[in-house]
Amino acid sequence: MPYFTDADARSIVRTTYEAAAPVGIDVAHVLYGPDELAGVPEDALRWAFGVGNPVRHAGPGPGEVVLDVGCGAGIDAFIAARRVVPDGRVIGIDMTPAMLDRARHHAAAMKIVNVEWREAFMEALPLPDGSVDVVVCNGVLNLSTRKSRALAEMRRVLRPGGRLALADLVLTESLPEEIRRDATALAA
Amino acid sequence: MLERKLVNVGFDRVVLRDRRPFGLATLARYPIFAPEFLDFVERVVPPDRHDALVYAVDVTATAAT
Repeated sequence: MPYFTDADARSIVRTTYEAAAPVGIDVAHVLYGPDELAGVPEDALRWAFGVGNPVRHAGPGPGEVVLDVGCGAGIDAFIAARRVVPDGRVIGIDMTPAMLDRARHHAAAMKIVNVEWREAFMEALPLPDGSVDVVVCNGVLNLSTRKSRALAEMRRVLRPGGRLALADLVLTESLPEEIRRDATALAA
Repeated sequence: MLERKLVNVGFDRVVLRDRRPFGLATLARYPIFAPEFLDFVERVVPPDRHDALVYAVDVTATAAT
């Protein structure tokens, strides 16, 4: 029996990320290389909440369409956008309007024009079947109470042979029940 | 379990690219966690797990043709 309903989980995650107030840029410098961060405003680096570097593993190239599931303030989308020019594009999807606003602000500052931002849930991606070449997802799948549904959606929107690169947190042994029932832990 | 879920929904060539321990010190880098929450985790999780509460993984897979 899950400790949180879908609605509860979404509300907790949205509230947590809306209220986040970054103070440092440690996470970005741990996860990404200097070449990837070049030209990314420091303010955007402070909003890097991922746990890996899926764009590096996916290796998108010119002309490809990339979907960033749970794009947050956009750092992975920005890195992908520069790799798919001149005619490729990136779609960044997030369920938190405040994070999408931050992404749009940073994209404008970087003069990145080949990314579109959409508000949506990862379990119901607003894209046609087989419409993207690459899906990246960084530290987001663990926020879903319906992970298989979210993965099925990522598969549905990928063309046959398309690539998924996922960075996430996994348990090798259970955490104490007090942690599993905690709303803040859910947002991790 | 993640690999099985990926295969079940139509992915193949699932590859674990990287796996890193994710402990309390790493958690503290993320501003979504208040000091009170970090103290709580430190208190309820046995000390021998503080350096690896969970693992961060990078996984790639291909949409089966």
